[in-house]
Amino acid sequence: MSEPAIFFTDVNERQGGFLRRSFMLGGLTAVGITALVGRLAQLQVIQANRYSTLSAQNQFNFRLIPPPRGRILDRNGVVLAGNRPSFRLLVVRDETKDLDATLNYVERLLPETADRRRRLIREITQSPRFAPVPVATDLTWEQFAKINLHVTDMPGVMADMHEARFYPFSGAFAHVIGYVAKVTDRDIEKTKAAGEEPDPMLFHPGFRVGKQGIEKALDKELRGQPGGQKVEVDVKGRVVGEDVEGSRPPVPGKDVVLTLDADVQNRALEVFGEESGAAVVMDIRNGDILCMVSAPSFDANAFVGGVPSKTYKLLSEYERKPLFDKALSGTYPPGSTFKMITGLAALEAGINPKRRVTCTGSWYFGRAFRCWKAGGHGSVDLHDAIKGSCDSYFYQVALEIGPDKIATVARAFGLGQEFDIGIGGQKTGVVPDRAWKEAYFKKRQPDNPGQWKWWPGESPSYGIGQGYLNVNPLQLCVMTARLANMKKAIQPRLIKSVGGVERPSGAAAPDMPFSLERLALVRGGMAAVANDVTGTAYRNSQLGLGPIKMAGKTGTAQSRDYKPGESRGPRNAEWSKRDHAWFVAFAPYDDPRYAITVLVQHAPAGGSADAAPRARDIMKVVLLKDPELRARIEQPYPQGAEPTAPPPDAPIEEPDVFRTAAPSPADAPAPDPAQGRPT
Amino acid sequence: MTASALTRPGQRERLSEKIGELDWKLASLLAFVAGMGALMLYSIAGGSWDPWAGAHLTRFCIFFVMMLGLALIDLRVWFAAAYPIYAAALLLLLAVEAVGEVRMGARRWLDLGFTSLQPSEIMKIGVVLALARWYHGATAQEARFHWKLIVPAAMVGVPVLLVAHQPDLGTAILVAITGGSIMFMAGLSWKIIVGLGAAGLAALPPFITFVLHDYQRQRIMTFLNPEADPSGSGYHIIQAKTAIGSGGLLGKGYGLGSQSQLDFLPEKQTDFILATVGEEFGFVGTFAVLLVMGLVVASTLRIASLSHSHFGRLGAAGVIATFASYVVINGAMVMGLAPVVGVPQPLLSYGGTVMLSLMIGFGLVMGVRVHRYQELPSGRGQLI
Repeated sequence: MSEPAIFFTDVNERQGGFLRRSFMLGGLTAVGITALVGRLAQLQVIQANRYSTLSAQNQFNFRLIPPPRGRILDRNGVVLAGNRPSFRLLVVRDETKDLDATLNYVERLLPETADRRRRLIREITQSPRFAPVPVATDLTWEQFAKINLHVTDMPGVMADMHEARFYPFSGAFAHVIGYVAKVTDRDIEKTKAAGEEPDPMLFHPGFRVGKQGIEKALDKELRGQPGGQKVEVDVKGRVVGEDVEGSRPPVPGKDVVLTLDADVQNRALEVFGEESGAAVVMDIRNGDILCMVSAPSFDANAFVGGVPSKTYKLLSEYERKPLFDKALSGTYPPGSTFKMITGLAALEAGINPKRRVTCTGSWYFGRAFRCWKAGGHGSVDLHDAIKGSCDSYFYQVALEIGPDKIATVARAFGLGQEFDIGIGGQKTGVVPDRAWKEAYFKKRQPDNPGQWKWWPGESPSYGIGQGYLNVNPLQLCVMTARLANMKKAIQPRLIKSVGGVERPSGAAAPDMPFSLERLALVRGGMAAVANDVTGTAYRNSQLGLGPIKMAGKTGTAQSRDYKPGESRGPRNAEWSKRDHAWFVAFAPYDDPRYAITVLVQHAPAGGSADAAPRARDIMKVVLLKDPELRARIEQPYPQGAEPTAPPPDAPIEEPDVFRTAAPSPADAPAPDPAQGRPT
Repeated sequence: MTASALTRPGQRERLSEKIGELDWKLASLLAFVAGMGALMLYSIAGGSWDPWAGAHLTRFCIFFVMMLGLALIDLRVWFAAAYPIYAAALLLLLAVEAVGEVRMGARRWLDLGFTSLQPSEIMKIGVVLALARWYHGATAQEARFHWKLIVPAAMVGVPVLLVAHQPDLGTAILVAITGGSIMFMAGLSWKIIVGLGAAGLAALPPFITFVLHDYQRQRIMTFLNPEADPSGSGYHIIQAKTAIGSGGLLGKGYGLGSQSQLDFLPEKQTDFILATVGEEFGFVGTFAVLLVMGLVVASTLRIASLSHSHFGRLGAAGVIATFASYVVINGAMVMGLAPVVGVPQPLLSYGGTVMLSLMIGFGLVMGVRVHRYQELPSGRGQLI
């Protein structure tokens, strides 16, 4: 030491005091550290054995067992979304000595994993060290057995069985039910943003969450409670035993029952063929949606395992938009199907239903408003105008009563409304009136006050369901259902029950403020459309189901503005430029039970030729599935009127989708010779 | 000015001379601890510099250079800056109280835009400097038993209450211990010490019942009986004890601690890093780390006792009192001898703010050593 020593005899009393005290502080620290060392010796030397055992016991792992996801059933108990066992191969990064070598080994057993190698390496390196990453799923039993033989040679590789989501009807329910897919970081962030602790299940390999439709809206209910399995693992993490006492079974997710009918839904998708469009069927007595389909559709099963980007690109770039739910998210001008609303609004405004308007094929108000029938309908009253879908009549009454009265009636029938059906994605569309126009254009064209006002010239198009008017197929079906119900403002219902708890029926709705006489007048027009030989859809709405008749209304809606003089010939036009075809109907006419709306987007012909036959085919399935109606159809012929030559096989074309349905009274094979005879 | 006959006037002011006077023994002890920390952080990250070990080492290197730089600053500068630094720290604490950012349920952080700051850490240095400054101007009698002792008591008490209110009980206790040790080192009368001690013991039960937050009370109850809730609040203590105990005499080997590696051990990178040392290096390794910690305390106390100025002595002593309490409290906590309070192991645990304030402190300690012959005005117009 180069420093001179400091002596305790220093005159400075403070320094002396400090030195004594610094010895004490040092001593105190020494005592503290000695105590720590003593404790250390106690823990590590004396009790070392005890703690080694404890540490080994820590090797008891609590493994999360994901619960089986709740099933989604149709109204008759047919499984629309279920789970199927699937063998898979998993890789745990931390247990592999060399990921490359492991993957090489796996590739020798499962050559198809070679194509995904780069993606697999990324997935494995990005996931937590101890999380098993699924490398191959849906293995065959042979593959699974082969891998199990080799598992001991491949550290970090394991094979197990899990439950994968399965949609037996692939496309038909893809839009309503949606699909489940891998948990993304964004899902976890979203949960955190909502202030909730992310469910530990979300981090479980292969766990899926609902991304669309019912799967998304009822994800929490479908998910269930995870179980736990207390397993003993060795140092390498291999399971060597299970502690049954410490395990608890998972609680399966709740089953969701929909109001949909699988047969109707399948038939509906089938009748669309290559065409694009949507169909909705409702029970008008309680609002149950029996069918809600959007065509073309896609295979939801492809999304469960992660859809290949090539497939996804094809789906998203196809101009007929298979991924898009046209029944809820697509809004279109309703065209002539809106004429019932205009007609009822006219009656409400005091126009005499007997008033006659002469249709010459076109009508002048500032410009020529043409009727679809080139020669004109002649003299028509309200009944005739609906039956013949006479544009001239509705141009004139719409001009007379103005937009506000039409909008009031339209809204009362559900147009422009969003319904609480339990899934998202509904677009409300537009039901225009003066206030709407002012608000809309004030925002969009603030410097053009002339455009804020409703111009009389805009009313005639409104009267025939064109112009600003835009509705979705569900709304039009609700409109038809309410027209058919005549009394209640029926609410649509899609979810029948969740976990056995019934959801409120759509019949618990207030009465509509329209008189029965006026509604009957409008309905009379609809009946004539389908049953009067001069009706626009007479030929295509004959059900051939005995006494059961349909009432409906066709619609051919322009999907764009035509240039003056431009040919309207839809047949030769490019797909995206053609008109939309609509058909709304309810049946049976004398005692309405079911309402249907069919949209054929950019149809080759029009409402009566493209939409009406499809609606008829779907409606047939619906009617035949109703046991009471079936009894009515199948009732024996009156005495003495025996059919002369009963066809040996049921002549009625029975859709083969019936085979997929669960047995129900309606399906009981009851070959009645009288079946389907036209009367 | 100079007190030694062996140096020429002005010789000690030269930079080269100052650098030669730096205490490399102490510096290497500190580097050993920080290096050990980086080693453990590398191990518990599964053999990766990310996310802790790299940052830990980088920070230490920067702070180490800063410490050497601070050591070259004249003690008169520290002396003059003592009260301003304390005042600034106090203002920041008040600012935290007013506009601080709440993280993990406590209002501790001040967002400066470019970085966030924990003023309670600055206060640790502030209290040391301010008390050393005050006692430098006080007589032995004033330091022992005098009404003027209200001043240093308030200097400690106000920040302690502010920090405790955040609530950050661990730091509050540390600031209190730091201030208390300086008062003790300055020669506080035993009568006061014993009296306060007795009063403190008497006040403890009501304090625990009425003042502590629920989670703080929970920690104490857990400490008293960790087995009551082994998977809940007792988890930390049990897992840490298991980690240490299972290490045995020689440890499980570097990188092989299953407790720490398998994530059984919570907060393994911060408060519970000593448990990882215990698990992987056993009794021998942990004893070595504690021994080095003890050597740091001993060398600093020697530096303090060699200083010619009372400010220097008390400053160095204050810093080392903080350091020693970190070591002992954290050690006791990890080994299940004390309730879990958020006190890290100095330089070993991951965490930038604590390391910064400690390294500033050691800058002062080394500065006291470099400038040990420096005499400071007493405030009564005389030197020493």
